[in-house]
Amino acid sequence: MINHHPSDETILSYAAGAMSAASRLFVSSHLSVCESCRERVRTAEVVGGVLLNDIECTPVSADAFDQLMARIDSNAVETSAVNGVGTSSSKVASADMVGLPEPLQLLLDGGFDELKWKTVAPGVKQYPLPVDVLPGEKVRLLKLSPGFVTPEHSHHGHEMTMVLKGSFSDETGRYKAGDVQEMDGSVHHQPIADTEEDCICLVVTDAPLQFKGVINKLLQPFIGF
Amino acid sequence: MVTCEQLTLKVERDLGLDPRKLSAHLVSVGECSDRSAFKALFDHFAPRLKSFYIRSGSSEPFAEELVQETFMSIWRKAGLYDPAKAAASTWIFTIARNLRIDRLRKEGRFVQKEEFFFEQAMVEEGDQEAYVDQGVIGEAVEVALTQLPSNQAEVIKLSFYEHATHAEIASRLQLPLGTVKSRLRLAFGRLRTLLADLEQ
Repeated sequence: MINHHPSDETILSYAAGAMSAASRLFVSSHLSVCESCRERVRTAEVVGGVLLNDIECTPVSADAFDQLMARIDSNAVETSAVNGVGTSSSKVASADMVGLPEPLQLLLDGGFDELKWKTVAPGVKQYPLPVDVLPGEKVRLLKLSPGFVTPEHSHHGHEMTMVLKGSFSDETGRYKAGDVQEMDGSVHHQPIADTEEDCICLVVTDAPLQFKGVINKLLQPFIGF
Repeated sequence: MVTCEQLTLKVERDLGLDPRKLSAHLVSVGECSDRSAFKALFDHFAPRLKSFYIRSGSSEPFAEELVQETFMSIWRKAGLYDPAKAAASTWIFTIARNLRIDRLRKEGRFVQKEEFFFEQAMVEEGDQEAYVDQGVIGEAVEVALTQLPSNQAEVIKLSFYEHATHAEIASRLQLPLGTVKSRLRLAFGRLRTLLADLEQ
């Protein structure tokens, strides 16, 4: 049961195709496990259809349709229901990737245990994902050890977190697999992995986090959050 | 069961812009490879799609090429179209949006063949009860869009026409990020309330 979902403005921008690849990966990953958000996206896509209908017309060249049909006839493009779908998922999912959102499965070479995690602070490991990012943007997996308390921090930009395994809690509630947390600059929080297992999250940030307190500020360059 | 001959006749009679007719054309392309229906869709959507790609930052010749590619996709995938789930304009919008992401890739991509995910999402059997006529939904959304406060309509259009991210909209309109988000949220909330009313 997923209790925390992406915001309306995130769903809308996803449907519009108006977000970075990293954010799109994030939202796709949530959609792959959340039917109710797929329905929200479909609603937002209706807006896209209406706006496409309402846009001004720019004439196409006079022979455009004839050219099109010539290309279709020469390519023997078929009106097939299955054409081109299902060919990219040739990777075989390893045992501990079962249940992982499919967009992520395609990005990872192995299960969580096989990834080359890098320690960024006591109790926190990260694995950067190979995705094109905008300047200042980061997309990675974070692994919090059980009971580990992240230094209290806030955000200059926007942070989206989705739990993949385990769970965490902070001032705003408890987050389990599939749950999404979106954070903006105004919020200070202190997440803690709250069960006996590691908490693994997909995290997209669009600006460096700001840690509270002098010691934390000194730690910041080292942690590199 | 409607035969292809009957569909073709229907298409020849109805060359208007009614969303239901556009959907019928698309069904006819999917079921019968109906070229006259395909031409009707082309006449309606090609000039609009060309504007859509130009607004996305494409040159005019490239926009023309993308229109061709869009229609090759439409021809190939029309068999997947289900008029109970989406209006023709919505379905074609998703194809154009995905092609734009794939070909005008300022945002970068997250896997080699990102379109795969979108195709899957389109094929997928939704378990929602889609009994409300898609034409009715489209008309309601169209009316709702005209009734939005202009500052909300503006951020919606920047998102869908120019695929501006929240941060880009904030910088273009010289607004705090939070204001951009709350305008998008209010606009979407209003549309959703309206659609929920329709479903009751």
